[in-house]
Amino acid sequence: MTDRSSARIDVRDLSLSYGKVNVLQSLSLPIERGKITVLAGPNGCGKSTLLRAIRRLHKPTSGGIYLEEVDISRLGDKALARQIGLLAQSPSAPEDMTVEELVRLGRYPHQSMLQPWSPDDASALESAMSGTGVSSLRQRRLGSLSGGQLQRVWIAMVLAQQTDVVCLDEPVNHLDMAHQLDCLDLVRQLKNAFGRTVVLVLHDLNLAARYADHLVFLRDGAIAASGSPEELMTEANIARVFDVNAHVITDPVHHRPLCIPLSTARQASA
Amino acid sequence: MTVNIKFSGPPLTVPSATRQRPPTPAIYAGLLVALCAVMLVSISVGYRIYGLDQVWQALTAFDGSETAVVIANLRLPRAVIAPLVGAGLGVAGVLVQTLSRNRIASPDTLGLNAGASLGVVIASFWFGVGSMTGLSLAAALGALATSVLVFAIASSAGGLSPIRIVLIGVTFAGLGHSLVEVVLTTNEAQLSQLLFWLSGAFVDRPLALAQTGGPIIAIGGALALLLARPLDALQADDATATGLGVPLFLVRGLSFLAVSLLTGAAVSMAGPVGFIGLVVPHAARWLVGLRHGRLIPAAALIGAIYATLADVIARFVVYPTEAPVGAITAVVGGVVLLVLLKRRAA
Repeated sequence: MTDRSSARIDVRDLSLSYGKVNVLQSLSLPIERGKITVLAGPNGCGKSTLLRAIRRLHKPTSGGIYLEEVDISRLGDKALARQIGLLAQSPSAPEDMTVEELVRLGRYPHQSMLQPWSPDDASALESAMSGTGVSSLRQRRLGSLSGGQLQRVWIAMVLAQQTDVVCLDEPVNHLDMAHQLDCLDLVRQLKNAFGRTVVLVLHDLNLAARYADHLVFLRDGAIAASGSPEELMTEANIARVFDVNAHVITDPVHHRPLCIPLSTARQASA
Repeated sequence: MTVNIKFSGPPLTVPSATRQRPPTPAIYAGLLVALCAVMLVSISVGYRIYGLDQVWQALTAFDGSETAVVIANLRLPRAVIAPLVGAGLGVAGVLVQTLSRNRIASPDTLGLNAGASLGVVIASFWFGVGSMTGLSLAAALGALATSVLVFAIASSAGGLSPIRIVLIGVTFAGLGHSLVEVVLTTNEAQLSQLLFWLSGAFVDRPLALAQTGGPIIAIGGALALLLARPLDALQADDATATGLGVPLFLVRGLSFLAVSLLTGAAVSMAGPVGFIGLVVPHAARWLVGLRHGRLIPAAALIGAIYATLADVIARFVVYPTEAPVGAITAVVGGVVLLVLLKRRAA
């Protein structure tokens, strides 16, 4: 792999609205280099919007996102795409596209009219496919893959992009338990073996606690709590952020906090 | 229990669902040879069949004989215009299907053929245009105007989403066709001439049309090739394409421009010939895969072969008279499309 130190993102006083609806309100969040930051929160809390804003898919109403002290709104499309990669929520591509054709797309921001396909592109393609274990699938059509294989191929595409920062929007949403673990192990691999900074939106709190280095709880477009999984996963926080009465224990195998939901606490607010 | 870093899981090699293709240069060479062959057939075969020596004689040393006149003035223009139109519509079809992320879309789906027909009818009835060149120009303008309108309306509410493009295109197609019907039924005098034009054909078109249409097709094709890599990325969803650094609006706008140049020029030469833009991209993908850098040249060649072949077949199905070429492209295309869809499903 190329030797590069991971970048650090700083979200500063970010507000964002769709029309008249405020989705994010003066939100500030430093994202640490070379760590997995997991954004979690109830439906509609703005976690996906924050992730998409970090990748400049949404324009902030005020405030901004800084990558190594550079405002990302000043970067060109391709320059930004060489710095921050995105695995979108439920991404789609034609069913008859081959695995290799999809992973190649990751090289788009590194190419230009004068430099259509370089040895760098070829080696990035190969290392992304071998790093995710999809090399043997290269001629397979996407439509013939299982959900788990497909997700791995999409991660390979983002890996081929060779960005310092990788954003993943609910990557395990439609996967069964084995493939969820498989996918998140792979995400951890992005950090450990490839030194990437990872920002991840996850729904499942226990998976979040297991894989996060840094956990962020959002609620109503603002940060409700932020810290290590051990600090954040308290019964009080879970009740406050998710409206769920829960019991929190320490997972005896991984020694991470584990949440056992007991009942919904919504009766009062409903 | 340890976390396995080399991922466990289902076996990753299943031999089915892959396809080994011959190398791309070999495919192009094969298509090029096939194109030359059908063009030669188109010149020499028809109501009368000429030998290659007579064809050579007529094209190199025109002697004013009946044979030479038929070959140079009737057969040659068809053998030049048909492949140009086919190539243009084939490439336009690839662009439209990628833009709309819809494999059964075609330039017709965007309402471009309807726009071209409307242009012809308006020019003929309101401005008294009667010459072939004038009607061709009107057709091209109609296609261009329609594509500008569809593009403007589709992008006005932001987004330019594939589904909006298709919905607005289909609406315009329906609107255009019904306006054409209205004008035609109220003006029966010029009906026969216009009906001929509106059916789409390669017969009796002057070679001069290719002198303006050809370069426009070339420009549209070159523009399409320049867009090849962003179009590859546009096959994925919008968020993914943006994440890769593709300027969606710019790429879609330029693709629209290429589609209208290609379709406008094709319609100006042959009238609205359907089904080429729908079927050819499928055949091209089947041969060379989904990368536009390969797909666009392949679609141009296959479109050229297809249109020329259809034009030759049209001379024989109801021999000694000629069938409209649009009917042939539709019948052959429909069958080919069904076979392709069946194959993919299998």
